Amino acid sequence: MGFWALCAASGAAVVFAGLMLLQRSLYAAALCLLVVLLQVSAIFFLAGAPLLAFLQIMIYAGAVMVLVVVTIMAAPAAARRRFAALEAPWPLAAVGLLLPAAELAVFFKRQGLPAGSLGAGAGLQSSIGPILFGPYAAATEAVTLLLLLSCLALIGRVRERRKDER
Amino acid sequence: MTALIYSTTILLFFLGLAAVVLRRQLLAMLLGLELMVSAVNVSLVYLAGLFSDAQALAAVLIIIAVAAAEAVVGLTLIIDLREQGREADCSALRELKG
Repeated sequence: MGFWALCAASGAAVVFAGLMLLQRSLYAAALCLLVVLLQVSAIFFLAGAPLLAFLQIMIYAGAVMVLVVVTIMAAPAAARRRFAALEAPWPLAAVGLLLPAAELAVFFKRQGLPAGSLGAGAGLQSSIGPILFGPYAAATEAVTLLLLLSCLALIGRVRERRKDER
Repeated sequence: MTALIYSTTILLFFLGLAAVVLRRQLLAMLLGLELMVSAVNVSLVYLAGLFSDAQALAAVLIIIAVAAAEAVVGLTLIIDLREQGREADCSALRELKG
């Protein structure tokens, strides 16, 4: 069962990645990328890393895509009309939405494919924490600083703009 | 199974690379970058399970965090460009200004 689920997730990811490339509208491209990211998290789950699957959904499919949509909305009016045209062919949009729903249904109906149903790595992720704060401590601290600096960059930009407007 | 993961990774990576190279909109290029990072993560997670190597999972966690920071900075620059009334189009950007 794991192999066929992997085929479905991989196939959908590749198809929607190709669609993302072909979309003229940025909204449609962002929605195609959203479907790809959800399928990548399904692959993570099947490969035995449910924690990374949920982080992929929260950080990528959630936070980053919201930022992308806000950036599209912040476009000037003339460009916004061009970006916002949602010409996505509705059958494909339906597939993009129904597939994650079907995967969730399979997950709940069969109490979830056993994490790591590809026969590997079911218990690996319990050792991520000790690794992050052991041999990878320097990298973890560096990434934490990077995230802090990127948030400060965003806040700094907003405050400068408010000063200009006053 | 491994062949399927590798082919998925290669296809996703090169579709992302095509988006970065072919599109002129900075936002579309950023979406291509996100796709390339996700493609590499797919292989890392699968091989981590195959070789029972939790360090690769820790590396994926760090990569996801770095990619989130990259998206924040990239989108901030795009909004900044628009605030200056300039088009977020890579062919219109010629010089680096402070």
